[in-house]
Amino acid sequence: MTVSTTAIVRPRRTNRRIGRMLISSPTAILSLVWLVGLILASLSAPLWLPYGPLAQDLNAVLQGPSARHLLGTDELGRDLFSRIVTAAAPTMLIALLTPIVGVAITIPLTLWAARYRRVELVMNRVSEIVLSLPGMVIILAVIAAVGTNMVIVMSLFGVLLFGALYRVFFGQAKSLHRQLFLEAAAVDGVRPMMASLRHVLPNMSNTVIVQFVLIFGVGIGMQAGLAFIGLGPQPPAPTWGGMIQAASKFIFQQPWMMVPTGGVLALTIVAANALADVLSGGAAAPPPLVQLRRRRTPGPEVVAPAAPVSDRELWVEDLVIGVDDGPELVSGVSLRVKPGTVLGLVGESGCGKSVTSYAMLGLLAPGLSVRSGRIRWGATDLARADERALQRVRGHEIAFISQEPSRALDPMFTVEWQLAAVVRRLRGTGRREAKQIAARLLTDVGIVDVPRVLRSYPHQISGGMAQRVAIALALAGTPGLLIADEPTTALDVTVQAEILDLLRALVAERDMSVILVTHDLGVVADICDEVSVMYAGQIVESGSTRDVLLRPEHPYTMALLASDPHTILDLESIPRLASIPGQVPAPGSWTPGCRFAERCRFAIPECSSPIALEPRAIGAGGVRCIRHDEVQGRQDEWRVPAVAGGRA
Amino acid sequence: MLIFVLKRIGFAIVTLLVAAAVAFVLVHLSGSTPGGVALGQSATAVQIHEYNARVGWYDPWIVQYTDWLGNVLRGDLGVSLVDGRDIGADIAKRLPVTAALAVFGTLFSALLGIAMGVAAAVRGGAIDRAITVISGILLSLPAFWVGVLLVYFFAVKGHLLPATGFVPFQNDPAAWARSLVLPVLTIALTAAAGIARQARASMAESLTQEHMRTLRAVGTPTHRIVSVHALRGASLPILASIAVQFIVLFGGSAIIEVLYALPGIGQAMQASVGSSDLPFVQALVLVATLVVVVVNLALELFTLALDPKLRTS
Repeated sequence: MTVSTTAIVRPRRTNRRIGRMLISSPTAILSLVWLVGLILASLSAPLWLPYGPLAQDLNAVLQGPSARHLLGTDELGRDLFSRIVTAAAPTMLIALLTPIVGVAITIPLTLWAARYRRVELVMNRVSEIVLSLPGMVIILAVIAAVGTNMVIVMSLFGVLLFGALYRVFFGQAKSLHRQLFLEAAAVDGVRPMMASLRHVLPNMSNTVIVQFVLIFGVGIGMQAGLAFIGLGPQPPAPTWGGMIQAASKFIFQQPWMMVPTGGVLALTIVAANALADVLSGGAAAPPPLVQLRRRRTPGPEVVAPAAPVSDRELWVEDLVIGVDDGPELVSGVSLRVKPGTVLGLVGESGCGKSVTSYAMLGLLAPGLSVRSGRIRWGATDLARADERALQRVRGHEIAFISQEPSRALDPMFTVEWQLAAVVRRLRGTGRREAKQIAARLLTDVGIVDVPRVLRSYPHQISGGMAQRVAIALALAGTPGLLIADEPTTALDVTVQAEILDLLRALVAERDMSVILVTHDLGVVADICDEVSVMYAGQIVESGSTRDVLLRPEHPYTMALLASDPHTILDLESIPRLASIPGQVPAPGSWTPGCRFAERCRFAIPECSSPIALEPRAIGAGGVRCIRHDEVQGRQDEWRVPAVAGGRA
Repeated sequence: MLIFVLKRIGFAIVTLLVAAAVAFVLVHLSGSTPGGVALGQSATAVQIHEYNARVGWYDPWIVQYTDWLGNVLRGDLGVSLVDGRDIGADIAKRLPVTAALAVFGTLFSALLGIAMGVAAAVRGGAIDRAITVISGILLSLPAFWVGVLLVYFFAVKGHLLPATGFVPFQNDPAAWARSLVLPVLTIALTAAAGIARQARASMAESLTQEHMRTLRAVGTPTHRIVSVHALRGASLPILASIAVQFIVLFGGSAIIEVLYALPGIGQAMQASVGSSDLPFVQALVLVATLVVVVVNLALELFTLALDPKLRTS
């Protein structure tokens, strides 16, 4: 249910083209300018550098920066600036060999393996072996064999990276191969290798480029490291690593010496990594599901003296919830749940039902907040409560069960561990007593084989069983109100009925009240005392279950009833299942008038003016429709296929 | 389960054989011969040829390879061509140095990296961006340069710690610890970034899972959600990144050991490569691979024990 609404706050990763990605990022431009500029400056160095890289001046050894020697001189009086610039091109161009060789070897093998299962098995093994070789040690052994020939050494380093590159590339190639358009290409008679080159490779280009740039940085570091331990290009040719080694020898006499070389080396690798970072689309982490930082408490609201709320009664008044700096998700919802009753909160996906239910326990995801309104529970206003007050309510007084039982439990711990931990905290019992209570709770929720379930991890039990465990978890603190967010949606029909029976029994036994969020009117008819129908962030109709389901007054409620498969059985004369044309309008696109008007077959021009919740014609409750007197009893018209809406 | 473990052990042995073969081939492709290295430049070609023939250098490769492996299995890694040391005994003496470096380096970089990654994922916003930038820079800094800077500040300027050198634990535990502080700090600073990135990504993913809402709804305090549930959920990929870090440190110890003059196997590798001490190079490749393979095996068994889904299937 939450998918459509929470998607608004999630940063969406767009598939921008690489070129535009580079241009639009200052970091990327700076990095590119640094890398390319350094290579160009180095290649053209003999033309413009004032000193040759090997020109010694024994009268000016170990100098700091000066006008004559911009970055100072080394132990032989050679100009550091000249040496750094001269060393740049060989270092960077040879470092390019590593990613070139690595990518050139890995890509064909990856494409081959993605195509043929047998090749895949072999390649997986080979890559695993290569990955297990200690890279640096092998490189040193290579140097023992071929000497300090950097071209060979850095190329072989690329070969050794096959293991790691294959891992990255293969996953992507495989999933691309599974995609439909490749199947289509095969049907069209495109040759396998052509299909790979034409369809798979271009889609992998971003990953390949990112890895290429990353490895380029690693290659530079590796080369400098080898030069540092004296196994790189041999002196007197300047190398960054060799110059840092020299600097480390003269660290007592002239510590400055290590600054420029190390700085340039570090900046070059930083530039490569930053470039790769930008190309991979940045690393924006998804926001956590629950608020972890201290909540901004909404500003104090002028509280009109309100009628007292009885102890275990929930009274939501004009609740407005919105995305911070974004659209409103829930506009002015009011609900009242008396002790021992079940309230159904009904509507299509994206109506704001789940968000409303999250707000009651301060469970709104980061980025969402209550803008105004009150959630009164006894003497507290939960909409304005601080974390400490919420903690006194959560689990103790109000509990929550979510729609996906198998994902609602922590997969890493056993049922007993999770239940006992919650019991210990909510009831303040010892370890042993908590375990006994946990077992008893499982019996209460109708689990037969309690010892086995206690020992199990969540993945070892069925969805229905998991929902029972989740209910047991919710009961651990003996709450007065249970908020159930689509508790049966993810379950098989037979299991649904069992869970509903269980909820009904709990309400009767424990004098608990329940808010049941659902889109299933059958469930509502089954268990709810009162119903509130939500549409696009508003309550459009409320009243007793009997009134709302049998004598709906709002066209949306009628449409929902007409499109409910359960009701066909009752109305054999018109065996048609209605469908409501169009979709729930997205938050932010709501009009000031009736939000259902554009999908409503009874809509008239007047519907576009603001509409208040009016009292029902029959029974207690409200309706948000200016024509509710006229359309009453016409729900069967929704079954007639026709283009709906005032615009038709 | 047992079959899985046996399979992995078998695979580890294959990896070792491949590494041994690579080392063997590399050594035989090099221009050097044992005689040339051992006898030095003063020796005549005839003397060198005699020496080579005596150690079996002209035998078929497969014979030499199996002979060598046979010796290795008997615990005989050969003697150094340069000074006739027993290679096995020398490596045994050096291993504790590198192991201490890698173990403490991994330990501290793991602590630092996990703290950074968790803070970034949990706090988000400006803290996340700051940590991401810092870890991006740390990831790019060459360890040897960071090492030289640390030596300058702590040893040259501050006189707090020895710049280089090593004191064995048996001689003086306090001095041993002091000699390891700077190398370990160098490693921790540069290796933490990789772990921090993995920790951040895994924690962030863990925190988006549906059961976080359940935990919050039953009133689980934030510190417990983060440190017990989210961290446990993120533990496997973080552990894998720590193992990778350990392997990289062990293999890449040459640079740190040369910088700080620590008598570990990395330094031996650098020296024996420089002097073409062929049997030494061969033995070191084998030992380094053995360490990697053992660590990987340990990681796999650990993962098996830590992942309920794997353990119970």
